[in-house]
Amino acid sequence: MKTMEERLWSYIDGTCSEDERKAIDNVIAQDENIRRQYEALLGLDQEFAKMEPDEPPMAFTYNVMEAIRAEYAQKPLKAGINKRIIKIISGFFILSILTLLVLVLSNLHLTPVKFSVHLPGSLKLPDVKNYLSGPVIQGFIFFDAILGLFLFDAYLHRKNTSKQGSH
Amino acid sequence: MQSKLSDIELIEQTLAGNQAAYADLVKQHQRFVFTLALRFCKNREDAEEVAQDCFIKAYRSLSSFQRQAKFSTWLYSIVYTTAMTFLRKKRVDTDSIDDENTYIQLESQSSGLNNNLAENRSRSYYLNRAIEQLLPDDAAIITLFYMGEQSLEEIGQALGIEPNTVKVKLFRARQRLREKLEKNLKSEVKELI
Repeated sequence: MKTMEERLWSYIDGTCSEDERKAIDNVIAQDENIRRQYEALLGLDQEFAKMEPDEPPMAFTYNVMEAIRAEYAQKPLKAGINKRIIKIISGFFILSILTLLVLVLSNLHLTPVKFSVHLPGSLKLPDVKNYLSGPVIQGFIFFDAILGLFLFDAYLHRKNTSKQGSH
Repeated sequence: MQSKLSDIELIEQTLAGNQAAYADLVKQHQRFVFTLALRFCKNREDAEEVAQDCFIKAYRSLSSFQRQAKFSTWLYSIVYTTAMTFLRKKRVDTDSIDDENTYIQLESQSSGLNNNLAENRSRSYYLNRAIEQLLPDDAAIITLFYMGEQSLEEIGQALGIEPNTVKVKLFRARQRLREKLEKNLKSEVKELI
């Protein structure tokens, strides 16, 4: 059961039904006490409606925008790379590999007795013998060794960082 | 003179990469967001932190904003959840936020220091003082209804409750506010006599 005050607030807010509104209109017109109570609540309502919001510090907007800029500037490069670019590059490589595979397979002549590969005369492969000379091999092994050491160092560094983080 | 852009236009510009548009959106809503945060936190430093956090969160999830509701309603729901999380964290170190007496004690301490009763205080001063003494939920509901110009349904959306519950809570909040106002005015008159 609603109290008279509750009914009067609904009347002031305009949230009561049409029948309820008419009923309250009648009560206000007939009952002096209710009319006074209604006027007091109406005055209070008007007073509440005049409230002004507080003013934030002057640099508020600037601080918000600076925080947003800082957050997006801190984003690692890894997260900033567009995934579409990665997809396009991988698509290009997959397509190249598939084209080469189709080209090679279409030129393969398999016989039941003897396996032989006949490449077309126009297809010239580079002469790898020239590249497999001593200095080239040595350079390649040296580069591999350096790369191996670099990767091992990176692995140890990562391990060390995660250990410190867990402590 | 260029007319003021609507919230939706500013959101679209922000999503297109124009950060200045978001700064305008912040400017349009900062006063109310700050006031609402102040209703929960009860001090300006915390309210500033909460309000700032709200705008950053809103920026992050702006693309997920459903345009069926008003931007302000969506923003106020962020204020509510952010303020609640903030208060929960703070509760560990301080007294319970539900302890109404805490606010009354704090208020009476500060009013005790301020003995300039001859000063002609406006009605809004007493109103703001009474609102400060209310529980955060009561103060927020009154602020949303009167300052935020939100309907009962919109307040329900922002606070995650049914419109009927909002109606009941609003009624009780107004009752408590009236009591606080009367009490403050009576004590002020007594001190003057």
